[in-house]
Amino acid sequence: MTETIDQHQEGKRDVTFRVFRFNPQVDSKPYFDDYTISAERGITVLRSLNYIKEHVDATLSFRAFCQAGICGSCGMRVNGISKLACTSQVWEELDKCREPGIIKVEPLRSLPMIKDLIVDMDPLVDKMKHYSNWIDSTMPLAEMGKKEFLVSEEEFHRYDKATDCILCASCVSECSILRANKEYVSPAVLLKSYRMNVDSRDSIHDVRLAELVKDHGVWDCTHCYRCQESCVKSIPIMEAIHAIREDALECRGPKDTSGAKHAEAFMEDIEKKGKLVEATLPIRTNGMVWTLRNLLPMAVKMIVKRRTPPPPPLVKSAKGIKIFRVMFREMTEHVKQDHQKTHKK
Amino acid sequence: MKPFDIVIVGGGGAGLYAAMEAMKTNPALNIAVLSKVYPNRSHTSAAQGGANAALGNKAKDDTIEMHIFDTIKGSDYLADQDAVEVLCSEAPKIIRELENIGTPWSRLDDNTIAQRPFGGAGRPRCCYCADKTGHTILQTLYEQCLRKGVLFFNEYFALNLSVNGSRSRGLIAMNMKTGKVEAFPAKTVIFATGGYAKMYWNRSSNAAGNSGDGQAIAFRAGIPMKDMEFVQFHPTGLRKSGLLVTEGARGEGGYLINKDGERFMARYAKEKMELGPRDLVSRSIETEILEGRGFNSPAGKYIHLDLRHLGADLIKSRLPQIREMSLNFEGVDPIEEPIPVRPTAHYSMGGIDTDNFGRTVMDGVYAAGECACVSVHGANRLGGNSLLDILVFGRIVGHTAAEEAGKFSPATISEAELKESVDELRNRMQPSGHYERYGALREELGQTLALNVGIFRESSLLHKGIQDIAELKERFKKVRVFDSSDVFNTNLMQVLELQNMLELAETVAVGALAREESRGSHTRIDFPVRDDEKWHKHTLATLVDGKVLPGEKPVTMGRYELQERTY
Repeated sequence: MTETIDQHQEGKRDVTFRVFRFNPQVDSKPYFDDYTISAERGITVLRSLNYIKEHVDATLSFRAFCQAGICGSCGMRVNGISKLACTSQVWEELDKCREPGIIKVEPLRSLPMIKDLIVDMDPLVDKMKHYSNWIDSTMPLAEMGKKEFLVSEEEFHRYDKATDCILCASCVSECSILRANKEYVSPAVLLKSYRMNVDSRDSIHDVRLAELVKDHGVWDCTHCYRCQESCVKSIPIMEAIHAIREDALECRGPKDTSGAKHAEAFMEDIEKKGKLVEATLPIRTNGMVWTLRNLLPMAVKMIVKRRTPPPPPLVKSAKGIKIFRVMFREMTEHVKQDHQKTHKK
Repeated sequence: MKPFDIVIVGGGGAGLYAAMEAMKTNPALNIAVLSKVYPNRSHTSAAQGGANAALGNKAKDDTIEMHIFDTIKGSDYLADQDAVEVLCSEAPKIIRELENIGTPWSRLDDNTIAQRPFGGAGRPRCCYCADKTGHTILQTLYEQCLRKGVLFFNEYFALNLSVNGSRSRGLIAMNMKTGKVEAFPAKTVIFATGGYAKMYWNRSSNAAGNSGDGQAIAFRAGIPMKDMEFVQFHPTGLRKSGLLVTEGARGEGGYLINKDGERFMARYAKEKMELGPRDLVSRSIETEILEGRGFNSPAGKYIHLDLRHLGADLIKSRLPQIREMSLNFEGVDPIEEPIPVRPTAHYSMGGIDTDNFGRTVMDGVYAAGECACVSVHGANRLGGNSLLDILVFGRIVGHTAAEEAGKFSPATISEAELKESVDELRNRMQPSGHYERYGALREELGQTLALNVGIFRESSLLHKGIQDIAELKERFKKVRVFDSSDVFNTNLMQVLELQNMLELAETVAVGALAREESRGSHTRIDFPVRDDEKWHKHTLATLVDGKVLPGEKPVTMGRYELQERTY
C-alpha cells in the first residue's frame, strides 16, 4: 500500500497567458505580456492570474474579490469572450485557444480603460441611475416595516432569474450596439429595468418606461443575442428586452416613438406583402423631415450607384402570400392571447 | 474637501443600511460612503442562506422570545442578552422593511415571505430568496442608495483615522484610481468593513478583501477589539480555495469519508452522523486529518465529501451549485468523484467593541456588522443571524450617528497630517531594503493560523502561533511593493491589507491563549470544558505603545441563566 493516497492524480499542463497591459502613467498604447506557468486540472484563470501576480509580476493589475462567482468583480475577456476569470477553467480554455497553448486575457470592452484588465464601471452605475433601476415603493413611508406586501410565487418567478444579475458587465462588453454607441442603455440596465417594471410593489413603471423608449433606449437593440449568450448567470436577457418592448407597445401604443413605429411598419409590410417595403421604411419610422435631413445624401449616392430599393408599387407580394396572411393572423392572435395571460398586471 | 457629518467606511449591508437610515434621520446631513470595491461587490452578496426573523409565516407559533433564546444558547451564553433582545425584536420589522423596498423574497403559498429551518433554531424562521439571499439584499440596498443619491467614493482604500485626543477628526484614505491620499474630515466615522477571517487565507471561505481593514484602523487608533479569538469554522471548504460547499450537500445525504474509506462521523456523532452541528463536524474532520486518516495532496490534507451514491439525477436537480463549484474550483465532478474538502474559516464573531448603539470608546467613532462586536453572537454565531446583524445594527448605527453628529464641532484634518500618511506610503514603496514577497507572507500567515490558532488550540501551539506572527510582522517591514505606479496599485493595496491582517492576527492568538476554557468555536485541548466561573466574560485587546494589552468586560445577562449547551 502506498503512503499517500491521492486519487486526483493531477497532471500539469504548460500554459501561456497573453495578457493585455496598459498603464496610463507610462504607456502611450497598450501591449501584451506573455506569462508561462504550469497549471494543474481544476485551476481557474483567476487563480493563475493571482499566481502570476504573486510570483512573476506584481504589477499585473486586475480586480478580484469573492473568487466564487458571486461578486462580479473579475469580469474580463478570456480567449475573446467576456466572462468571470474566477469561474473559468484553464484546461477548458486551453481547448478554445486560437494559438495552441496561449490563453489571451483582455479587459472588458465598451467601458473606459483604467489599467491592464481594470475598466471603469461608473458609466454603468450612471445608467442604472438614469433609468431608475430601483423600486420606488407604493408603501407609504410611515407604513414601512409594518406589514408585508403579498406577492405570489408566480410574480416572484417573473423576476427571479433577472435578480441573479451580478453586474459583472460581461453583457455590456459583448453588446454589439454599445460598441457603436456608448450612450446605449446596455443589456444589464435593460434587464434591471425589466425586473423593476414587472414588480407589483413599484410605483414608477410609467416613468421608467418613458425613459426606456427614448433615443439610446430599448428600441436600439438589434437582437444579436450576444448578451444572453455570454451571461455568466445564464439569464435570458433577450426575453427581458422583448418584454419591455411589448410592454411599451401595449402601454404607449404603436405611434409612440420611432422604435415603436419601426416595429409597426415591419408588421404592416409583412402582413401586406410578406416582405419589406424598404424605400418608405425610414419615412414611416422617423417621418419625412428627418428622412430628408438625414438620408438625402445617402439616397443620392444610392441613385448614382443604382442601388436604390424599388418604389412601393413595384414591390410585389411574396409567393404564397394568401396562405401566409392566414398564418400570420393566427400567429398574432396567439401572441396576443399569451400576452394577456402572462403580462396582466 | 468639505467636512462631512458622517463618513461610512464599507458599502456592504451594514454600511448601506447605515447610509439610508442616516439620510432618513436627518436629510440635511452631509454623508459619504467609502468602499474599496464597488458596493455591490461587497461580501454580503456571498451569504446564501437567509436572515432570521420571527415573522411566524411558516410556523405560526414562533416568537421573538424563542429567537432570543436560540441565539443566546447558540452563543454558548457569551452574547450580551440586551443586545440579542434588540437584534431579535427588530428582526421582523427590518425584514418587512426590506420587503417593502423591493427585496425579492421567495414566497409561501399564502404569498407571505418564505421561511425555512436553519441550524440551532427551534422554528423555521430563516427568510430567504432561493440561495442568493445576501446578493439580493445587497442589490436592494444599493439600488435604494442610488435612488436617494447617497454620495459614494468607490474604490477608496481607508488608511487611518485622524485622532485628536479622545476624538476622531475623520478618515484618511487612498483613491485607488489616482493613488492620491485624500482627507475626509468628519464629525463621525462609521466602520462597516466586514470580517477578518481571510487572515486564514487559503483556509478561509471569505473574499480576498476581508482583511479586517476597519478593525485594524480602529485598533491602531487605540480602540479595543473584543472577543477576537472566536472564529467560526465551516466543516466543508474546498481543499484548494477554502470556498464553501454549503450544508445542503450533507443535508441531501452526502457522506464524509476518510482515506480508509470509513464514514468516520460514526465515531463522533453516532445518530446525527454528517448532520451534527457545525463545530462538532469541523472538529471531527480535523481530528481525522490530525490522526493521519486524511488524504495528502500538494494543496494540503483533506477528506472526501462523497455524493456519488445520490445519483446523477439528484445531484443535477438539487445540488447544481455544488456541482458547479466543485467543477470550477477543484476540477472534480461529484457525480464521478468525491469532493476534496476540509474545514474553512468562515466568520469572525469578534471585532470592534461597541455598545448596543454602535458607539465605540472613541467619540465620533462607530461600528456595525461583522466588523463590530456588540456582542450578539458571543462564542458562536447561528446561521441566518449574520445578515440580520448587519441589517439591524447597520440601521441603528446610521440613526445614532445622524443624531449625535450635531454634538461634535466640525472637524478638520491638517495638511501636515495628510502628508504624514503620504510619506508613510512612500516609505513603504521604497525598493531599497525591501525584498520580502507579500504573497509568501500571506500564505505563511494563513498556515500558521490554521495550524496553531485553528480549530484545536493548545498552549504550546498558541505560543508558536504568536511567535510566528511576530516574526512575520518583522519580515513584513521588508516587504517589497513592486508596482510603483499611482494608478490602481493593487500590489500596494494587498500589502496594506496584509499589514491589517497581521496586526489583527496577533489579537486573535493572544485572545485564544488567554481564554483557558472551551466555549463555542474556541476549543482548547488543554482546557476542554467551559469554565463559567473564570471565563464567562468578554476579552478585550487594546494597542498600547505598540503592544497588545489584554483586558476583559462582563457579559450582560438577562432573563436566561447559564446552562449547558446541548443539542
